[in-house]
Formats: sequence, structure tokens, C-alpha cells
Amino acid sequence: MARRHLVVAGSVLAVVVLYAVLVPLLAGVDDRVTDFAQARQAPSAEHLFGTDSAGRDLFVRIASGIRTSLLVALLCALLATVIGVVVGVAAGFWGGWPDRLVMRTTDAVNALPHLLLGIVIVAMFRGSLLAIVLSIALTHWTQVARIVRSEILSLRQRPFVDAAVLAGASRRQVAVRHLVPATAPQALIAVVLLLPHAVWHESTLSFLGFGLPPHEPSLGTLLEEARSSLLLGGWWTLVFPAAVLVVVTLAVAFAGQALRKVVTPPQPSELRL
Amino acid sequence: MSLDARGIVAGYRRKPPVLTDVSISVPAGEIVGLSGPSGTGKTTLARVLALLDAPRAGSVSIDDQVATGTRFAVQRELRGSVAMLFQSPRASTDPRLSLSSIIAQPAEVAGRPVDVEGVAARVGLTPDLLTRRPYQVSDGQLQRACLARALTQEPRYLICDEATAMLDAATTATLVRLVEAEAAAQGVGVLLISHDEELLAACCSRVSALADLRGTHAPA
Amino acid sequence: MNPSNPSNPSNPSSSLHPAGLRVENLTVRLPLANGSVVHAASEVSLAVPRGAVTALVGESGCGKSILASAVMDQLPAGARRSGTITVTTPQGPIDVFSGAPFRGRHAALVPQSAATHLTPVRTARAQLDETITSLGSTRTSDELAVRVGLVPAALDCYPHELSGGMAQRVAVAGALVGDPSVIVADEPTASLDRALTDRILALLRECADDGAAVLLITHDLASLVRTGVADHVAVMYASRLMETGPAVEVFDDPWHDYTRDLLGALPARGMHPLPGLPPQLTDLPDDCVYHLRRPETRQSGGPTVLVQVGERSYRTLRDAPREEVA
Repeated sequence: MARRHLVVAGSVLAVVVLYAVLVPLLAGVDDRVTDFAQARQAPSAEHLFGTDSAGRDLFVRIASGIRTSLLVALLCALLATVIGVVVGVAAGFWGGWPDRLVMRTTDAVNALPHLLLGIVIVAMFRGSLLAIVLSIALTHWTQVARIVRSEILSLRQRPFVDAAVLAGASRRQVAVRHLVPATAPQALIAVVLLLPHAVWHESTLSFLGFGLPPHEPSLGTLLEEARSSLLLGGWWTLVFPAAVLVVVTLAVAFAGQALRKVVTPPQPSELRL
Repeated sequence: MSLDARGIVAGYRRKPPVLTDVSISVPAGEIVGLSGPSGTGKTTLARVLALLDAPRAGSVSIDDQVATGTRFAVQRELRGSVAMLFQSPRASTDPRLSLSSIIAQPAEVAGRPVDVEGVAARVGLTPDLLTRRPYQVSDGQLQRACLARALTQEPRYLICDEATAMLDAATTATLVRLVEAEAAAQGVGVLLISHDEELLAACCSRVSALADLRGTHAPA
Repeated sequence: MNPSNPSNPSNPSSSLHPAGLRVENLTVRLPLANGSVVHAASEVSLAVPRGAVTALVGESGCGKSILASAVMDQLPAGARRSGTITVTTPQGPIDVFSGAPFRGRHAALVPQSAATHLTPVRTARAQLDETITSLGSTRTSDELAVRVGLVPAALDCYPHELSGGMAQRVAVAGALVGDPSVIVADEPTASLDRALTDRILALLRECADDGAAVLLITHDLASLVRTGVADHVAVMYASRLMETGPAVEVFDDPWHDYTRDLLGALPARGMHPLPGLPPQLTDLPDDCVYHLRRPETRQSGGPTVLVQVGERSYRTLRDAPREEVA
């Protein structure tokens, strides 16, 4: 059942990715070319998703938007997960005061509104890609750290860790051989589940004007542009980017949940003979 | 040459100690039995002897060398000198590793070469089982793998903490006879902990009840 | 000693004790996802008389626990089975596979590791009361607690607050709610120490003395021999029965080499290990495979049958000359 979900969600994502990659390459229409004569055209055979206020074809522009959004989101998710895993393993394994220090830091980061913190970080670096990636990663690593830490805490007590200790393994050897690999499934799932957050976060930052500059299309900047077009009746400028955002978010969320089931090591056979 | 615990006071955190002034001695090459009902502290004593947990009072010495640390802080010369077989073979194996990796681990840690198939053959595991992971083998086969792992460690002392409680009589007999043979061949001192008094009587040179070890200061 | 007709279902003392549970020629095959088939039971016939404890023993993984699932009609999905299982009730015999309701009322199960079979968020009393209500029984949970040797106040604990022995007794109490004529206990004393094991076995003995037909499935042969709780015993190896008969006689003078091997592995009898490993039940050949474990045996290595001699039966080669077994 989980595999079926994974296949369906994966296929949807594959379609979206193909769209994002192929369309800008194959389309005869360039999405940067502005043509005010064609501004605000409703969807037609020539412009499948219509055009925006500057006359750019939305079908191609959204494709570029997805590409940017997904790339940024992937970078953020990976960075946040790496930070979260390192912090979670260290806290869970060492215990004592390092653990307490880490948990209080996590609480502090969590207490602040993500968006405000994100805006502050971005404002400090004035809209560069690094700033956006950092702003999202630094606000989202905490949930990964918590999950990893609690997994490590429960694994620490298992007799197989004792067996390794008895054999003379050092802390590092136990962590690397047993604990970090055990968190790999959770880490993988964390990356996948962070993607929608990151896409949303980046879109919001861009929507608010703190993210990517407007000529760099991302789903967020497209939504920001749609604000003005809506008042003039251009429903397509909002509906299509928003629909893509929703579809991508849902597909990734389903894929993440299905992945969790597929990736957890099997329990010993329930067959009692 | 023996594994000694003297005056051990130990127990769970924030609770009154379950072991009060307990002493025990496991001579090299002998099989010593420890009996008693569940929950009375046999496992606690086993963990203190294996230097996995620190007692609140008392000391553990291996071959007359007093242990100064536990777990990762065990002094270099004493590392790996005590091996343990746990009650649940499933909990004491990493579900992600193959049996072959599980058995080889102590040698990898020590940087020694090991003949995994050879050790596995000594405990009765056929080579086709070595590539399997724990969920694909039975409890009895997994416990044999744990014994192979303990043998790879080349310990001076082996503690079996209710290691056969979950196994049937035939597998128990096989496992205990293997432990006996290895103890005799390598001069390993064995502490066999079990609530099965007939089992202890059949293979131990001496059996002590936990209750009788309180307040003794010389080896029982 | 001349054998009577071969392959007769084991039917000890049917005149004295009417059968509470009768298993006839049960064969269970469990197909696995990778295409192989697990031979969980092969032509197993067993009569469990009322008022007595019948023990089914064997090594772990020999197929005995699947019998518990079969009797309760709770075989895994996809299982292929043939043969019949009948529970004798005051209203007449019930075929457990027919779909007629019988669980709890006429046959009840005491599972292994009772604590994990109880819902952790409700007290023992709440769960016992639920069973009482759903079966429409007139018993009270206090009454059942006393019967299994628990202080009634213990029922107000949550499962994690109960010790292993207490949880197991709650499970027996649950099984007794409907006054079933058949009680199946599947490894009821696994992970219990000796004192608790003896108490649970004594409790099952009392249930038998009160008239139930108790089928005790266990790998703990040592406890059976030590406590003498079983009246009859059946020995299973790789999905087949090897020997059956009155417990005292079988333990004293086993007729099948495997029974002799199992008894020889007991600490009290020398702790002689069996060679090799117990067989996997996957894709077993059609005949008994005991000769692969003990090549020198003359009771396996070709087509075999269960030969009935009075109250006892044992498995041997169909075409071998009948020999003296005394």
C-alpha cells in the first residue's frame, strides 16, 4: 500500500519536474521577454496559462519558477537535515550538559516565529541566494534534531550498544557504526518532508519581497505578481502558480509518508510457528 | 586469576539500591552459577561486573587489576576483557547489520583479522545464514550468532545473563555445551545467570544464590 | 506388542473422558510473498480430552503455535488448510472453521506474553469487564481474579504495572470468562521464572480439574517433566507428530528417537545437545525429515506413518518391519 502511494506521488513529482525542466528548453517562447502588447492575456492556445502583467508567458515562467523553488527548497532541506542530524546525534549520545544546552537552544529557536527570524536573516544579507537558504535552514533544523535525538536516546539503551561497548568500541565508533545509520531513514524522511515547508517559506519570503528579486521567477515571486493582476481580473496569474504549489506540496508530503514505511527495517516475521 | 566484585551497592537511579554489599568471584576457566528470582538484581550485578554500569559503592577487579572506569572510560588494558550474552538476542543485535558483520564487530574494533565462517561453524551456524539479517533468522540462531560475536572478542570472562531463558531446551543444551567447550578450551571464566536451577546444577562448578552473596567479603 | 491399525488419530481413553477438542488430519500451508510455502502442520491429529491437560511440545519453530491459531480459527490470511477441528460443547460438536461463533464461549486462548495482548491504556478490570459483557457471562471480574489467584485490587492496575506472572493470570482469567470447554494456552510461561511458571501451570491444572479440555502448547519440556502437570503429551517435529501418549509413560520410556533426544537435552537428564539446527518449515519435503538431524534413526528416511499401540502412538517408516518397542 505504501509502495503504491510512493509510486503515485513519485509520478506526480516526476511530471512536475519534467515540466520544470523541459518546458523552458523546448518552448519557443522565452519567459523573460516582456511584450506589453500581450500583457494580461487569458489562457489561450498560444499561451496555455495566459500571460502576466509584463506579457511574459506564464506556462514557461511557472516552469522556471518551479525549478528555482525546488532547487532552493532542496538545498535548504538538505542543509537543515545535516545540521539537525549532527546536533541530534551529539545531544542524544553525549547527554549531560551538552544535551541540555542543545535542547535549550532548540527551544529558543522554536520560540521565535520562523518567518520573522527568516526575514531578519535575509534582511542582513540583502536577498542573496545564500541568505535565503540560510534563513530557511536555520529555522527548520530543530524538528530534525528533536526527532533524531529521541531516536538516539532510545537506541542508547539497547543491548546491542552495550555489546559494542563491551567489545571496546569508542564513542565515535558506536555513533558512526550504529547510531547514525539508524537515523538514516528518519533523516531521509525529514529531507522529504521539509521540502514543502521550504518551498512555502521561500514563496512567502519572495511574496513579501524579501526573497528572490522579481525578475527571478519562483513560485513566490509569481504569487506576488499575481496580487496586482488579480485586481484587474487576471485569475490565471494566481490560480496556476498556486495550484502547482499545492500539488507539489501534497505530492512531497505523500511521498515522505510512504517513504517512511518503505524504509524502516522489517520486524522479525510475525509468523509464529 | 578471576573476575571479582567486592562490596557492591547498586540499583536504579533514585530508588533504594537492589544490591547491598554483594561480592562474587568468577575464577578463570570455571563456570560459576548465579540463581535467584527475577527482579532481585542479578542483571544489575552482571552489568556492574561487565563494567557497563558504575556501582554506588564497591569495586570490580579483573585479574587483580581494579577497574577505574565504566563504559567508554574503561582503562585500555581492560577493554574487551568481559563479554556478555543477553536475554534477548533480538535486542542485542543491530537489526541493520548482517550476521556476518555482527559476529565480526569485536575484531574490527580491535583491529584484528577474523575468520567469521570459522567462528560461525564452531557455534553451528552454516555459511548461508551469515548473509542474513536478524529478522530473517530465529531466536536460537541469533543467540548462536551472539555467542560467536562474544568468542570473536576473545574475552577473559563471559557473563550469560539469562541467555537461554527465551530458548527451548534443545537449543539451550547446545548453547550451554558450546559455552562449556569454549571455556575449557580458552580458559574463559563464565558467570551463568539463570532462574533454572537444574541447568545451573548440570554445568556449574559452584552455584550461588544472589541472596547468599550479601555481606560476604571473601569470594563465596 | 503388535500394532493396531496404522494412522489412527490419537484417541486416548475416549471412554473415560469425552473429547473436548478433536483435531483431525490438519494440514496448514502458508504461502510467503517470495513464492515459497511454509509447512506449518502436516496431517496432525490430536484429541484433547476434557478434564485433562494435553501438552504439545517441540522445539521453537516446529509448527505447534500454528495449532493454537488453527483451533481459534485465526490462521493468517492466505493460509491453505485441510482437515477438521471440532470443539465438543453441551449443545453438540462445533466445527471451528464453519463460522459458527465459539471463541470465548466454547474455546478460549491464553496467549504468550499476556501483557502485550492487553490494551495498555485501560485497566485490567476494564478489559475483563468488557469480555464479560460481550460474552454475556454472569461472572464478575472479582470472582475470576480470586479463581486465578489474584487479589481483586490487582485488577485496577494498568498492564504495565502488572508483573509478568500477574499479567499472565489476568490472561487466564480472561479465558475463563465464558466457561469454555476448551482452553488453549500458547506458551503461557515463556519469560516467566520457575516459581511463576509452576503457578501458572498449576492454575491450568485446576482449570482441567474443573472439567475443561486444556491444550498446553510449550517448548518448556523441563517444566512439564518437573511439575508433571500434563496428563497426555504429543511431540511435534517439523510440522508432524512424532509421538503421543500418557505423559508419564512417554517421559519414562520414549518410543521415538526424537522424543528421546529432546528428553536427553534436559539438564536433569544429562543436557545432551541435539546435532545441527531445527529445520526451517519452508518448502519441506513430503516425508518426515528427522533422519536429516539423526542419520542413524530407523524411524525416518522414507514414507512414515503414526502407528497406534494402545494409548500411545509413534511415527516410524511405513515399510519397516515392526519391531519390539519395549
